[in-house]
Amino acid sequence: MKNLLQKSLKPFIIYALLVLAASVPVYYLLVDNIWQKELDEHNQIVAARTAYQLNQLQLNQKELDSSIVLWNRMQPETSLQKAEEHTPLKDSSYTLTRMNTYTPAHVADRFRGLRKNIKVNGTSYILTIETNIEETEETVLVIALATLLFFIVLVVGLVILNRRLSQKLWQPFQSTLKQLKSFRLHQQQSIHFETSDTLEFEQLNEALSKLIHNNIAAYAIQKEFTENAAHELQTPLAIIKNKLDLLLQKDALTDRQYQIIEDLNKSLSRISRINKNLLLLAKIENQQFDATQEVNISALIEQSIKVLGEHIEHKGLEIDQNIGTDIQVKGNITLVELLIQNLLLNAIRHTPAQGHIRIVLHAQQLIFTNSGTNALDSAKLFQRFTRQSNDTGGTGLGLAIIEQICQFHGWTVHYAFQNGTHTFSVDFSKR
Amino acid sequence: MKILIIEDEPDLAQSIAEYLSDAQYLCELASTFKQALDKIETYEYDCILLDVMLPDGNGIKLLELLKQEQKQEGVIIISAKDALEDKIKGLEIGADDYLTKPFHLSELAARVYSIIRRKQFGNHNIIQQQELSIDLRAKTVSVHDQHVVLTKKEFDLLVYFIGNKNRVISKSTLAEHLSGDFADMLDNHDFVYAHIKNLKKKLNEAHCSPYLKTIYGTGYKWEA
Repeated sequence: MKNLLQKSLKPFIIYALLVLAASVPVYYLLVDNIWQKELDEHNQIVAARTAYQLNQLQLNQKELDSSIVLWNRMQPETSLQKAEEHTPLKDSSYTLTRMNTYTPAHVADRFRGLRKNIKVNGTSYILTIETNIEETEETVLVIALATLLFFIVLVVGLVILNRRLSQKLWQPFQSTLKQLKSFRLHQQQSIHFETSDTLEFEQLNEALSKLIHNNIAAYAIQKEFTENAAHELQTPLAIIKNKLDLLLQKDALTDRQYQIIEDLNKSLSRISRINKNLLLLAKIENQQFDATQEVNISALIEQSIKVLGEHIEHKGLEIDQNIGTDIQVKGNITLVELLIQNLLLNAIRHTPAQGHIRIVLHAQQLIFTNSGTNALDSAKLFQRFTRQSNDTGGTGLGLAIIEQICQFHGWTVHYAFQNGTHTFSVDFSKR
Repeated sequence: MKILIIEDEPDLAQSIAEYLSDAQYLCELASTFKQALDKIETYEYDCILLDVMLPDGNGIKLLELLKQEQKQEGVIIISAKDALEDKIKGLEIGADDYLTKPFHLSELAARVYSIIRRKQFGNHNIIQQQELSIDLRAKTVSVHDQHVVLTKKEFDLLVYFIGNKNRVISKSTLAEHLSGDFADMLDNHDFVYAHIKNLKKKLNEAHCSPYLKTIYGTGYKWEA
């Protein structure tokens, strides 16, 4: 990926190249024109002076003729001829390229000539003056070289300027970008962008601030809703539960009626649990837990195994532990306990009877492995209400709670399936 | 035995009162902070059930007041809040127990029973039912003066039944009592059956009358 200024640099350079390239013929025409005019003027001056001085000499015809012969020999690139006709010629300027007579190298040179009628002692003569002028290709070459030099200077300058500018000009943008990258919605903290004197960046920051503010507000409303909804449900749930308890006391219930009440009780327990778990998730998201306690995770694991021991036994599960003694983590004891209970309960529930559970704890990691048959979809695993087994007992929130608790503490949780064992590992190192 | 139920939800208060009244408790209701305050200042109770979220005040204030006046009532906080901090705070101020909504009435009855027993009998907290004698403090059981060794869970169940005499308690309720929050996460509740079977067997072997009856197949009732 190229940065923005690099992208704009390329068309600038191409444009500069085109403009400079177009300037070469223009400069040539200008220079050549000026040169020709100057030479025409020069030739006129020379012609006028020649005529004047020849007249000043006041030579007789014989002397004049021999002088002209001598003059024609001595003066290079000029000739003075007696005019054939009596009607005077008009002045004419011309350009011609011919071999230079006086230089040893046989190169063609360009000349600017003037043919003019002058009068010496009343006789008409035709004076021809030819002055060397720079050749077209040479002029073009020199101008092109100069242009190329300027082009190089321009490009180097632009590249350097560009590099400096991209650091300086884009600094507020980079700072905004850095802040955006570290933004986490669930932390509910707004961003204060650096103020910039660039209009566009200020507008960007303003728009972003507004967007973030709205997002935070929407997120807060959603969380609050979950919490309130869960709270509001507690009382009606309690009423149903208690009414069922009362109904159970009525005499002469049939076995069938009792069974219906019992089924209602079971479903009710599940609703209550889902409700409690949603409330718990909302509370974790709302950072309503203190995470600064020193928690003896080894003791908590042993305690959880004890509490759930009879269920492990009941299912005929074999449990294998490698738990380091008195390992401490910094966190919230209630949440850490819930994390362990959820991991253990998850393992108990999903290990086939007579299966195997292994728990490993060391200072950096807690690993739960249990035997299983099929790999779980790790992409959806920790999402709320995604159930991956066909058992109906769970709330679909256990793994979401596990992930949320890890996230709250800055830990990471990973899932893997290999050789018929599920592995859940919690990494305690801070991200 | 007088019990004051401070609860602003009438349906809930009535259900509690109905369940407890059958067990020879006299229940009074208070649905607001002010009503509760009047009753506490005027009468004596054996146990107070306190909902902390009242429309006109915080129940915790009532608890503080009770403790300031050194009243001897047992207090059970019943709250929709399941926050550990609230629980700890309530217990620190002097509540005897804390129950989170929703709860089973049998759970509440068992707790009310044990609190009243503790307040009334202190160190000599022994329940006597004919040949059966249960020492709640020492957590021991004897039948015909012969010691019966029960596991912690079996003892727990026995006391739960005593607190809910002549009441039908379903297996799922007992499962919730025994494994707390996890009950519904467990695939089956057979572990309850295993504990009950052992308890019955042990009492039976000690020649205790069959007070504990199975009803409707998976329900239980302690008859006395």
